[in-house]
Amino acid sequence: MFVLPPPPRYPSQAAYNLAVANGQAAPMIETNNILTHPTGPEYQLVVGEGTYILKEDLHLATPPPHPSEAPVINPNPLATTPQPATAGTKLSLLSFSSRSSAPLLYKVDTNRSIRSGGLQSSIQEHPSEGRPSGDLVPGSSDGGGTSMTGSARAPLSIGSAPAFGEGNSMLSAPATSKDAGKRRKPKNNIAKSNSSFISRCIVHENLTKRLQDRPADGYFAFANINRAFQWLDLSSPQKAEHLTKILFTKGHCLCHDINQSTKASNHIDLIMGFSTGEIIWFEPISQKYTRLNKNGIINATPVSEIRWIPGSENLFLAAHMDGSLVVYDKEKDDAAFLPEENGTHTNGDSEKSNGSGEHSAKLHVDKSVHSKNQKFNPISFWKLSNQRINAFAFSPDNRHLAVVSEDGTLRIIDYLKEQLLDLYASYYGGFLCVCWSPDGKYVLTGGQDDLVSIWSVAESTIVARCQGHQSWVTAVCFDPWRCDDRNYRFGSVGEDCRLLLWDFSVGMLHRPKASSVRQRGSISSRFASPLQRAETQTTSASRLRSNSSPSYESDEDHTVEHPVEPRATTAMLPPVMSKVIDADPLCWVEFTEESIITSCKSGHIRTWDRPRDTTGSKSDTTLASA
Amino acid sequence: MSLFSKFKGAASSASPGVNSPSHKNKKDVEPEPEITPLVKMLQNAGPIRSDGSDKFFGMENFGNTCYCNSIVQALYYSVPFRENVINYPPHSPLDTPSGHPTVFTPIRAIQNGGAVSHPNKPKGISAAEAMRRRAAINAGQPIPTTPGQRPEDKPDSPEYKKKHAMLAGPILELTYESANPYGMEESTFTALKDIFMALIANQSRTGVLSPQRFLEIFKRDNEMFRTSMHQDAHEFYGLVLNAVISNVEANAQRIKELAPPQDDSSLAQSMKTAVTSAATAMGLTSGARSPGTGWVHEIFEGVLTSETKCLTCETASQRDETFLDLSIDLEQHSSVTSCLRKFSAEEMLCERNKFHCDNCGGLQEAEKRMKIKRLPKILALHLKRFKYTEDMTRLQKLFHRVVYPYHLRMFNTTDDAEDPDRLYELYAVVVHIGGNAYHGHYVSVIKTQDRGWLLFDDEMVEPVDKHYVRNFFGDKPGMACAYVLFYQETTVEAMRKEQEAEGLAEVALASAEAGIALGHPQPNGTHPASISKAVSIPSTPVDDSQEFVSLDHAVTAPLPMSPQIPRSAPPFIASPSVPALNVTKVKAKEDKEREKKESKEAEKARKVAEKAAEKERQKAEEKRRKDLENTRKENQRLQAEQVKLALAASKQSAAEDEERRKKEAIGTGTPSESSKENGHPEKDKSFGGLGSLSRSHRGSKSMSKKSFGFLGGKNGEGKLTDDSSHTAVEGEAGPQTPEKHSKTSNGRFSFSGLGRKKSNLMNS
Repeated sequence: MFVLPPPPRYPSQAAYNLAVANGQAAPMIETNNILTHPTGPEYQLVVGEGTYILKEDLHLATPPPHPSEAPVINPNPLATTPQPATAGTKLSLLSFSSRSSAPLLYKVDTNRSIRSGGLQSSIQEHPSEGRPSGDLVPGSSDGGGTSMTGSARAPLSIGSAPAFGEGNSMLSAPATSKDAGKRRKPKNNIAKSNSSFISRCIVHENLTKRLQDRPADGYFAFANINRAFQWLDLSSPQKAEHLTKILFTKGHCLCHDINQSTKASNHIDLIMGFSTGEIIWFEPISQKYTRLNKNGIINATPVSEIRWIPGSENLFLAAHMDGSLVVYDKEKDDAAFLPEENGTHTNGDSEKSNGSGEHSAKLHVDKSVHSKNQKFNPISFWKLSNQRINAFAFSPDNRHLAVVSEDGTLRIIDYLKEQLLDLYASYYGGFLCVCWSPDGKYVLTGGQDDLVSIWSVAESTIVARCQGHQSWVTAVCFDPWRCDDRNYRFGSVGEDCRLLLWDFSVGMLHRPKASSVRQRGSISSRFASPLQRAETQTTSASRLRSNSSPSYESDEDHTVEHPVEPRATTAMLPPVMSKVIDADPLCWVEFTEESIITSCKSGHIRTWDRPRDTTGSKSDTTLASA
Repeated sequence: MSLFSKFKGAASSASPGVNSPSHKNKKDVEPEPEITPLVKMLQNAGPIRSDGSDKFFGMENFGNTCYCNSIVQALYYSVPFRENVINYPPHSPLDTPSGHPTVFTPIRAIQNGGAVSHPNKPKGISAAEAMRRRAAINAGQPIPTTPGQRPEDKPDSPEYKKKHAMLAGPILELTYESANPYGMEESTFTALKDIFMALIANQSRTGVLSPQRFLEIFKRDNEMFRTSMHQDAHEFYGLVLNAVISNVEANAQRIKELAPPQDDSSLAQSMKTAVTSAATAMGLTSGARSPGTGWVHEIFEGVLTSETKCLTCETASQRDETFLDLSIDLEQHSSVTSCLRKFSAEEMLCERNKFHCDNCGGLQEAEKRMKIKRLPKILALHLKRFKYTEDMTRLQKLFHRVVYPYHLRMFNTTDDAEDPDRLYELYAVVVHIGGNAYHGHYVSVIKTQDRGWLLFDDEMVEPVDKHYVRNFFGDKPGMACAYVLFYQETTVEAMRKEQEAEGLAEVALASAEAGIALGHPQPNGTHPASISKAVSIPSTPVDDSQEFVSLDHAVTAPLPMSPQIPRSAPPFIASPSVPALNVTKVKAKEDKEREKKESKEAEKARKVAEKAAEKERQKAEEKRRKDLENTRKENQRLQAEQVKLALAASKQSAAEDEERRKKEAIGTGTPSESSKENGHPEKDKSFGGLGSLSRSHRGSKSMSKKSFGFLGGKNGEGKLTDDSSHTAVEGEAGPQTPEKHSKTSNGRFSFSGLGRKKSNLMNS
């Protein structure tokens, strides 16, 4: 007749401790990470290439609430008090070995040549095809986006993208010594910090020894859980014991990233974004940190995603939840930020007019990287919209940025030029995650329409919608070890606690009945949307992207905003594997050479070993499953 | 419930930290009714609109009537529905320029202490009882209180807010009936119309409405709701919609049948004159339905196609059914999208649930799936959170986490569906709070035209931010789960526009969140919640035209902008009698956001222009109206007389009608038809028996009418006989009370693959 309500939360740590001591409440929070090795058929993923087997489950301890934390818990389910943002456990993986990232680089190279070749042929195939149908897409052609001096973009060979902000003398970084030992470290010692922001830092007693003893190619993992942040060694048998654990006072770390270009066995540049909008630059080996955007002086909204700008030692990009993208320099001081009125350069003007002319500001450069005023942070400040940015990703060629928002838009931005190239819409609902294919041809998004969508960057169109999740898709990732120039493997996880694996083959897309009309040789035509409008768009777009001689009439064709493609004309892709792999909604997935790693909202990090070759001598699989 | 409150009491007494002396003091001192977040939000609102889109009234709870309040609020903010309720019947004499000459809504005198008593409470419970009950309900929301402290003394508690909503008033006392002025018999529809009209007519933007008469009538017509027990809000929703349909149809029928030929012409004439708007004309000419009555169908009704393929002969057959809402089964960690897809997933009809194939001539195994052929304008999704326990003895509540997006498209449409990619936006969520189906509380969270999202909790109305809507996925502590979701069609353009406006609010909210996390003192220490909430409302009002534009598809429905509205409008538009608060504290929020202000000014300027235009238009209209009015009044009086005279005849004919329908039911076969469907006539019986419950999901239109027959029957005997005849037809000694009936039938559904989906309540 009556179901007991959930146990009351305790207003203070003391009350909670008392309750635990009296046996009135079971300790609800573990303070140690727990490593388990569950086995059985429910911990195996059966795919075409073999069986992935759960190697281990590492459950991160959720820290108890900070003693000073006000009991914000209001048991009234209708309480309208806004709750601070939090995020499920996400990982930043780090390996010093070049082996683990080799396939990725290899792919990038090969596919680049293929890509340009493919585009070349597509252009030859479409020379006379429906270019001038811009009238079908009324109005929204973005002069700014396309008057981008294609010449500047194209001549540069793809492999060597210019550095972000190149040409701005004010930005030229002080001659950095390539010797990692002499790299600049943050200022403050985190263990001895008396900052009100950091509650505690617990360093493993044998940290130095553990660092020395570990295999060079093993993975480090940095993971956030609630108000804690942990540094773990995934290659260590004592992986459950964190190398370092930092507890923050109130801010929750929502996102973090490792600088891949400065990483060395004695130096790691890590940045973390917080629910308070603050950012911490942390060097875990020396245990030093610096706070940026302190007290939200530049932007007080939570940081939903943060990433180092590829190739840059100092600059990173943070997505704030108010819809702004901010570039910071880890070593610069903050200054209160006001949009620079004339801070927009060259193409910025057109962006501006573009933003105000239409009801949605698509990319508003509040401060350009080319601004001469670069003494303080932010380096640049772009406002995309007023909607929360949920994720972004840099393209493998380091030229583009894919940004997804809560309003259900995917933006492809040339961040070097600070230009918006394309704006796509979800089928419905917000986008939650985004990633690039290893060759940079495709972008994947996942969102609140339960779909993973594949977008072709070169052709400015949707390629397919992947249906299979039973709830919102929270993370997508390509498996570079199972991608070649025609076939792609990617994985996605969602709120349905499921991991789905997908095989997407360039030539083998299942198209809806209505649209199986045209089949051509070139990639571009094969994927072009059956709608004539989209067709012309793709042509002009690929022209722009691939070729060194951008013609201005094609500029007019190129529209930035792309409407939603109806379901009837978009290919649907089914998954090759779908399985519930956790008890809680998942929020992160990544592929390594040996395994798939997933994490969930409550802090379970699960490692799924790839199927072993029958020829392979390793018998870990059986050991692990035994 | 009492156990619950006991538990709560124990829990709160165990945590003495909450008990601060300041609260105790407040107990004695009756606090000044301070400015609520809602009032604050409305401070610099412009003139009151005439379409009722900016009225934010709480609704009084008479003891477990929150099911009614939550649904009625959701219906009120369903724009096309509200417009149509107001405008039907099209020739109502109510719509006179002077407002409501025939209808005066009494405003209850505010009594000391806010404990308002209802001397003539018709529901048979005393005021004290009602208060006690309400307190019991509210105990469903555990509020940490000290034992000696009444919950309503704590300023942040819902009780406190509700009490003060009652104190602040005005309280619209809807005890009258105005069926006659509408030219209709008193019915659920007229009572609902009374509520809507009273809200629009009142000069205040906020207050409390007391829907006494509505509940009386509803309970009169619906036996199982006569108890003061907790009721199912979705069931109530279905009954109200069906009652509205039948009331409107009955009215049309009655006028048609009873009007003598010569009067028919005069009626037609009156129609002609009154109905200058294209909208009503459309209503009149719409299809085969009786004149002007199709609007409920046009708004809420969709068509499901069930495709059944016999596995023996591979013959595929199709059958269309209309629905007013979709009841979807839930799964842990799923989304509404996925649940809808499951709804349309293929299903095997086998074993005891075989399909009667015409081609093979026998019961065969078959494959069946339900797809949506026509999408409704307003899509109501009923999440089946209540499910029978294993032993079928009682309903348990499922606390599955089911996420729902702000926007939605349907994947499960048929290939030939019109506009299969139609975009829907979430605009109302009815939330059930409580541990099971028999206890708890309902509130609704509703997106208003230009005031963002509001929480309607009985007497209390409070602005909330957009993210608040996501608190009811089902996994949060507090047992509050979304129960009915209302989606309305929209366009991408409208969506984008709105997102722009929301964005500003989001910024403010996010900073507030950050501020909280950083421990920054709130601008106003005592009520941090209210501050951030007030900030979070998009204060750039979306103008009306835009709102209507957004409902592109709505053109087929009677247009909402019919001349009847402005008719009652002038007094309000012209009147400066907006609550004094509005004028005084305009400047309060100004420093908050420059842009907001600017846009507001632009808005103001535009409004002035609009007003001027409006006035011109009204003048012209006024003139024409006066002419019309005379004729109309004449007609009306005539009609009213005829109505009176014909009442007896009407009853007679209604009874005949009833009889005929009954015969139809027995003769032609819904039973036989349905038995064809799944081969188990007795199973379908439960649909008939369920009537009110399942009709909306599955019954074809004729079915619905039939079930109406007995549900909406005027007299108990008619109902009884009808009911028993149904059971007789279906060969089951049916329980006499519909409530029991529904339960048993639901129990039976457990083995019916067909019924499982559409049954209102869940089963294992």
